[in-house]
Amino acid sequence: MTIAAHPQAVRPLKKRIADASEPYLYSAPALILIITVMLVPLALGISYAFRDIQLLNPLSGGFIGLDHFRALSEDQAFFRALRNTLWWTGASVFLQFLFGLILALLLDKPFAGRGIAQALVFLPWAVPSFLAGLNWAWLFNPVIGPLPHWMYALGIMDAPNNILSDPHLAMWGPIVANVWWGIPFFAITLLAALQAIPRDLYEAASIDGAGPVQRFLSITLPFLAPTIAITILLRTVWISNFADLIVVMTNGGPADRTQIVASYIFTQAFKRLDFGYASAIALVLLVLLLAYSMLIVLLRQTLLNKG
Amino acid sequence: MASIDIHGIRKSFGTFPVLHGVDLTIRDGEFIVLVGPSGCGKSTLLRMIAGLEDVTAGEIRIDGKRVNDLAPKDRDIAMVFQSYALYPHMSVADNMSYSLRLRRSTKEKIASAVGNAASKLGLDPLLERRPRALSGGQRQRVAMGRAIVRQPKAFLFDEPLSNLDARLREQMRAEIKKLHGDLRATSIYVTHDQIEAMTLADRIVAMHAGVVQQVGTPLDLYDRPANLFVAGFIGSPGMNFFEGRYVASGEGAELQLANGATLPLGKRLGIESGSVATLGIRPEHVVIADGGALEAKVDLIEPTGFGIIMHVTIHDIPMKIFTLDRAMLNPGPNVRVDLPRDKLHLFGTEGTRVD
Ligand SMILES: Nc1ncnc2c1ncn2[C@@H]1O[C@H](COP(=O)(O)OP(=O)(O)OP(=O)(O)O)[C@@H](O)[C@H]1O
Ligand SMILES: [Mg+2]
Repeated sequence: MTIAAHPQAVRPLKKRIADASEPYLYSAPALILIITVMLVPLALGISYAFRDIQLLNPLSGGFIGLDHFRALSEDQAFFRALRNTLWWTGASVFLQFLFGLILALLLDKPFAGRGIAQALVFLPWAVPSFLAGLNWAWLFNPVIGPLPHWMYALGIMDAPNNILSDPHLAMWGPIVANVWWGIPFFAITLLAALQAIPRDLYEAASIDGAGPVQRFLSITLPFLAPTIAITILLRTVWISNFADLIVVMTNGGPADRTQIVASYIFTQAFKRLDFGYASAIALVLLVLLLAYSMLIVLLRQTLLNKG
Repeated sequence: MASIDIHGIRKSFGTFPVLHGVDLTIRDGEFIVLVGPSGCGKSTLLRMIAGLEDVTAGEIRIDGKRVNDLAPKDRDIAMVFQSYALYPHMSVADNMSYSLRLRRSTKEKIASAVGNAASKLGLDPLLERRPRALSGGQRQRVAMGRAIVRQPKAFLFDEPLSNLDARLREQMRAEIKKLHGDLRATSIYVTHDQIEAMTLADRIVAMHAGVVQQVGTPLDLYDRPANLFVAGFIGSPGMNFFEGRYVASGEGAELQLANGATLPLGKRLGIESGSVATLGIRPEHVVIADGGALEAKVDLIEPTGFGIIMHVTIHDIPMKIFTLDRAMLNPGPNVRVDLPRDKLHLFGTEGTRVD
């Protein structure tokens, strides 16, 4: 009887080890795959940041500790790129979100041809980013594009020049292209969230005495808040890493005025072929973005708990 | 509090007509119940009064003032939705005070209004909770509370109890009645539960296919249904009908059934002899008696606890009898029944009542 009551005490050691390791063995294939695909490249990239890796120098490759980071802390070009990144990301995300929200609110109301309009909104999203960049670069080019002439005619500009070659305005070129390209993302996700809001809440609110603005503030916004938080988080990380449009349209110029950290990494790695330094910059960007993401995730949690 | 006048109201969704000219006058403080089968346009009518649907034609007046083109918020009415439509991100107290906050009432006034409503409805311990942390019955109460804090001119209810279980529905029904007794607020209540209609209403409005069939007190509709639709709709189990031909004979009159049998009607009525007519009698009015004039074949017995519903066949026509006599649990294959003449309803060719 006692033996039956304590079967574990008499099991052989081998069997116990086998039992204990069973779940790990089952999950091993998936874990190994994830580790090789995700973590190995990450670790490798991080390790570059602490090594001297220059493609044109066969003697490089040695461990140099924090040298890259010391150089980085004195690199004025890097700090300018950091400021430009803030500017580029902030303006792009804000404008994409604003126009995306307005578009979503418009598409949420029934009207004739809404189905077609909803499909058309998707269109910019389907354009490859390089093509979008070229397109906009041409539009801003006074030789072949109409935009400078229109802006001149409207009195926004003194002369029909290419804003992409004006150091003070150049950043607006890629930002405009990026906004055009990214509005669909916000419009579609926000529209989906809008359509999930029960209609009778709006009816109850209008009977309770709420006007359109109050209905928007006290029903639409609270319902959209979690979606807004997560889409803004995603887009911020994405856009701050997104150098395609800048590389195509201005290549960081004029005078580094449109150089963002991502395009600076690109320049360091593929123009100066200094992979070690580029990795160090990438690591700093990664840490900054991680910190930012944590912040937004926390914010979203508190919002969700409140709701 | 206010009166509500509805005059010649029509409603079409696109080209699809839903309401075909509804006229209704609701007095100050009256409790009106709209009943009718699903899809007859009850909710549509209610939502038009609330201002949630446009009026296709006709006129709605609240307190004598035309409101056709007023936004819901300017009509000063409150509505309780079937889904409750509570604001999920607001606490119970905030849900109830939302309308007052929009009107910029003072803090003290809001607190006392919410406090009063909460104590009337037993919501005091729940004020800080969010709707998703409430049971169905509690949510229902919050929805009522949200309506009463504001002291609107009128209350509109769209099947407010239909998501509750039978026991809770009974309890809430009584509470609504009590609340109406306290507040004496003009109320329009939509339901397809006829017990709710009978117990709550000062007057019932029976609707069918977008047309008002009869307006009257619950007992009016029960005792003197205006047409076949109302006769069949009010009462449970429903009224029995015999179709046949009305024949005047001497002093009296009778109904000739398809198989040639006749049912005596007692007195002559105001329709032409020989015309098609329908005779109705409620199951609870059929009398079972040894010396009864008619023979009924017993098909099925349904005990309800309180009474017994007997499914029988008279002259090949299926009908129901409701009796309190427990002996009828084992009635044998046949019983003899009488149809008391003062409980008979006769409906003419068009289905309208004839006296
Ligand atoms: N927005 C709408 N568009 C088109 N038709 C509608 C719309 N709303 C309601 N209807 C139609 O109007 C008719 C009446 O609907 P209504 O909701 O008033 O019925 P009801 O009497 O409240 O029914 P129930 O008891 O099932 O709630 C139905 O045939 C319905 O299909
Ligand atoms: Mg309805």
